[in-house]
Amino acid sequence: MNLLWWRRVLSLTKKELLQYSRDIILVIATLYFFTGEVFIGGKGVSFDLINAPIGYVDYDQSEASREWLNKLRQPYFDVKGSIDNDKDAQHYLDNSSLLGVMEIPHNFQNDLLKGQSTDISFQLDASNVILGNLANSYVSLSNASFNQEWMLKKLKINDIDEMESPSVDAKKMILFNPEGKSSWFMAISEMMTVMTLLSLFLTAAILVKEKERGTIEQLSIAPLTPFQILLPKILAVEIILLIGVALSLFLIVIPVFEVPFQGEFWLFFLVSAVYIYAMSGLGIFIATVSKNLAQVMIVSIILIMPIVLLSGAFTPPEAMPEWEQPIVHFSPLYYYINMGFGIILKGAGLNLIWTDLLSLFALGTVLFIFGISQFRKQFEN
Amino acid sequence: MMNLQTVLTITKKEMLEIWRDRVYFIMAFVFPFIMILILGFGLSFDVEKMPFAVLDYDNSDQSRDYSYKFISSRYFDYKGSIDSVKKADELINTSKVRFVLVIPPEFSKNIINGYSAEVQAQIDGMFNYRASVVSGYISAINANYNSELIQQWAMKSQGMTSQAISDLISPVSLETRYLYNNELKSIWSTGTGLIVLVMLVSPAMLAALGVVREKETGSIFNIYASTASRSEFITGKLLPYIAISYINISILCLLALWVFQAPFKGDLSVLLVANFFFVASAAAIGVLISSFVKSQAAAALISMLGTMIPGIMYSGLMMPVASMSSEAVIEAHAFPAMYQLEVIWGVFLKGQGWPELWLNILILSGFLILLWLLAVLRFRKRVNG
Repeated sequence: MNLLWWRRVLSLTKKELLQYSRDIILVIATLYFFTGEVFIGGKGVSFDLINAPIGYVDYDQSEASREWLNKLRQPYFDVKGSIDNDKDAQHYLDNSSLLGVMEIPHNFQNDLLKGQSTDISFQLDASNVILGNLANSYVSLSNASFNQEWMLKKLKINDIDEMESPSVDAKKMILFNPEGKSSWFMAISEMMTVMTLLSLFLTAAILVKEKERGTIEQLSIAPLTPFQILLPKILAVEIILLIGVALSLFLIVIPVFEVPFQGEFWLFFLVSAVYIYAMSGLGIFIATVSKNLAQVMIVSIILIMPIVLLSGAFTPPEAMPEWEQPIVHFSPLYYYINMGFGIILKGAGLNLIWTDLLSLFALGTVLFIFGISQFRKQFEN
Repeated sequence: MMNLQTVLTITKKEMLEIWRDRVYFIMAFVFPFIMILILGFGLSFDVEKMPFAVLDYDNSDQSRDYSYKFISSRYFDYKGSIDSVKKADELINTSKVRFVLVIPPEFSKNIINGYSAEVQAQIDGMFNYRASVVSGYISAINANYNSELIQQWAMKSQGMTSQAISDLISPVSLETRYLYNNELKSIWSTGTGLIVLVMLVSPAMLAALGVVREKETGSIFNIYASTASRSEFITGKLLPYIAISYINISILCLLALWVFQAPFKGDLSVLLVANFFFVASAAAIGVLISSFVKSQAAAALISMLGTMIPGIMYSGLMMPVASMSSEAVIEAHAFPAMYQLEVIWGVFLKGQGWPELWLNILILSGFLILLWLLAVLRFRKRVNG
C-alpha cells in the first residue's frame, strides 16, 4: 500500500463526497434525519402516564371515600368525575373514553371506622400494556399512602418514625436520569436509529447508483482492486455520518434536551465510526443483491427492522423469548446502544466498553469481508 | 367520468408488471409477513426477568431473608451477590444488571431492635418506563416485607391477632382487574397493533415505487399520450396494490390470532371494512408521494419517512395519544393510523362493533377519498412538471 495507492483512494473519496453534495434531496434528507427527526423523536414520544382519564363509581359518598379519591394525583390521572352505576362504567371503558374506573363499595367509611378491611376494585383497560403497567403502579402507590395515613390516624401518631416497630425503608435512586425524562432516552435512541438507517442506505445507494448508471463498468476496468473501489465509498459515508451525528449531538441532543454528556466525546465518535464500518458491510451486501434503488430500499427496510427492534433499545434482551436472546448479539445496534448510552448517560470509559467495542469490530469485519466477497463475485459473472 | 374498461386495463397491465418482476412480487408478500413476525416477537413491553444484583454489607439471616423476597420474584432475575460499590457501578454501567439492592451493615440490628432500617435500590434510569415499573415492583415487594415484619412484631409485643393487624396496616386493599388483556400480555397489544404499522408502510412504499418506476423507465409517456384520464390512471394503478395489501392484511390478522394467540372478541365485519379503507388510504399516500418525486430513491425515502415515523410515533402504538404533546396530538389525528389502531384493538381485544367504531370507519373512508383526490389533482399528464 504505497503512496499512489492512498492517493487513488483519497481522490475517489473526494469524488464520492462531491457526488453526494450535488444530490440536494439526499443532503436535505440527511440533514433532516439528524436534526428534525431526532427533535421530533425526543419531543413527541414519552413513556409516561399523563392525564389518563379515570372515572369512579362511589357507592359510599363519604368523607373517607373522597379522601381516597383525592389521592389520585395529577399529572398521572385526570379524574373525569362520578359515574352512577357499573353498566355506565363498562360502557365508558368499552368505548375507550376512560382508561380505568374505581369502584368504592357501600359502607366503605363504616368498615374503616370499625377497623375492618375493605376492597376497592379498579377496572383497568389493559389493551395498551405500557399504560396498564403504569396506571396500576401509580394507583397502588396512592392506595399505599392512604393506608399509611389511615393507620397513623388510628394509632394517633403523627409520624411513622414514632411508631416503634421494625420496618424497612427502601430508598430508590434512579441513576443517570433522576427525573425520568423520556426525552433523553428517545432523542438518543432516535439518533442511533438514524445512524443505522443512513449507514445502511447511503452505502448501498452510492454503490447501486453506479450500477444503475453503468459507471461501475468503468470502475471495474480501472486499475483498482475491489477493496480500493469500496474503501473510498465507505470513507465518504463515514465522513458524512460523523458530521451528521456531531450536528445531531451539538445542535439537538445536548442543547435542546439538556442531556448531560457524561463521557468522552472522542470515544463516542470512535464507537460511532466503528459502527458505521460494521453497517457498511451490510450495505455493500444489499447493493450487491439489488439491481436498483427500489430494491435497495426494500431490502434495507427488511434488514433494518430486526436490527432496530432486536437491539435491546425498547425491549431489553432479558425480556425477550428464550430463542431470541442469542440473536441479539448479531445486531450491531445492540453494541452501539449499549456503548452509546454507556458513554453519554453513564460516563463509561474505554475500560468498561472495550469488550463490546471489540465484538462490534469483529462483527463488522465479518460483515465487511462478506460484503466484499459478494461484491467481487458479481464481476466474475 | 371514469371508464371502467380503461381502469381495468391499466390494472391488468400493472398486475402483469408486478407479476413479472419476481423480486418485487415476492417482496410484496414476504415483506409484511417477515416484519410482523420479527416485530411481534421482538417488541415487548413486559417488564420481567430484570437482572439485578445484591450488595449485602450486613450478611445476616434478616438481610438474606429480605433479599430472598426479590430473588424469588418472577419479575427479577438474580445475577448473584457482589461485594463492592465499584463492582455495582460497573455492572450497571455496562447494563449487565438493571438495579442493585444495597443492604447496609446495621440492617439486622435495626430490625431486631425495632427500628426502621434503610436499604437502597440503585436503578438504571436509562429507559424511564422500565425504571418506573421496576421501582413500582420494588415498592410492592418492600411493602409486603414490611407488613410481615409488623405482623410478627405486633403479635409478639402487642398481643394482637393477625386479622386485627392486617386490618390495621392495610385497611383498603386494591383489586385491579385488567380488562381486555387480563394477563397483561404485551404481545396481544403489540402483535395486533403492529398490523397497523406494517400495513401502512408496505402499501405506501409499493405504490410509490410502482408509479415512480414508470417515470424512471419512461413508460409513463405511454400514459401521457393515451386516452386514459388522470383519475382512470390513478385508480387503475391503485387497485392492484389495494388487492395485494388486502390479502396481506388478512393474512396478518390471521397470524395475530394463530401465532400471537390474540383473542377476537368484536365484530368481524367492522374489521373487514376498516381494513379495506386503511390499506387503500395507505396505497393512496404512496401514489400521492410518487407525484412529488422523480427518482425511485427519493420515492422510497420519502414514503418511508412519511409512513414509518407517524406509524410508530403518532399512532398510539408506542405511546397513548392522551399523553402526547399538543402538536403530536394534531399529527396523530391527521393520519389514518390512529383510527385503524382503535379499530384493531377494539375488535380484537375489546369486543367492539359498529356502535363504537362507525366514526372511525367514516374517517378512514374520508382519508381515502381525500388522498385519492389529491393524488388525481397532483398528477399531470405533461412532460415538464
